[in-house]
Amino acid sequence: MEKEDWLLFELEKLFTSSQEYKQKALLKATTELVKEQVKRINQMEGELDGRLWSPRDWHN
Amino acid sequence: MKTLIIISHPEIEESSSQQYLLHSIPDDHDVTIHHLEELYSDTPIDVVAEQKLVAAHDRIIFQFPLYWYSSPALLKQWQDEVLTDDFAYGKNGTQLQNKEFALVLLVGAAKSDYQAGGKELFSMDELTKPFQAMAHKTGMTFLKTFSIYQFVYMKKKEKMTVLIDYQLFVTGDSEQSLLSREIWLLNQLKKTNVTTLGIGNEETLQHVIEMIEENRETIDDLKILLDDMN
Repeated sequence: MEKEDWLLFELEKLFTSSQEYKQKALLKATTELVKEQVKRINQMEGELDGRLWSPRDWHN
Repeated sequence: MKTLIIISHPEIEESSSQQYLLHSIPDDHDVTIHHLEELYSDTPIDVVAEQKLVAAHDRIIFQFPLYWYSSPALLKQWQDEVLTDDFAYGKNGTQLQNKEFALVLLVGAAKSDYQAGGKELFSMDELTKPFQAMAHKTGMTFLKTFSIYQFVYMKKKEKMTVLIDYQLFVTGDSEQSLLSREIWLLNQLKKTNVTTLGIGNEETLQHVIEMIEENRETIDDLKILLDDMN
């Protein structure tokens, strides 16, 4: 299991076991935050990869 | 930061959305709730007391249900009587300068109705121009509007999203970036009551916090690498 999947799995478990409404809402928002972080990381890694393999830079 | 939420709603007890928001406000922040109809339904507005109250806060929020594309009547009356020359504007009217101002709107129609071509034709940014002009004239910074559309039709998880977004809107940084959201959420997670998390989950929560912080370090490192390539 990837690190992010583990994190989302644990957050889901915390959400289910929490006995307080506002805390559940906080954990749900945290899950959305983690998804946004992962998306941002994937986008930036993709951009980095794209730039490293850009023919424009092969002569440098 | 001290936040003042001025609510105008003639039947607040009957409003499930207003009640939900009232119960969402975190106890550990400096937030003042000020319901106009509760105070001034039958009595004149105490202008001096209202001006003192506004002057003592950094972020002023008007929270109301949208009635004919504007606020309930008492909030308009409050503006007319409280935001006077030499208090809110004019040569000596500097009391509101550099404060933040925002709207929290409860809207009965769907979000998609508020646009060119939609049922309501105009966007919420267009309809709220008088409030934007008021903030401008009084020297306040107008923040993004927090609109809740069709609360009664929302599912449980959508309402949970409203709860946290509203808390963040009322108490958080006006910047509303991913980083400011991260900082705010981490702060809340560190303060949350571990006894309601369930047995043995305190350690898991700690691990979750650490991993979110690690993700932030990864984002920052990637940003530095990409900036270096420019």
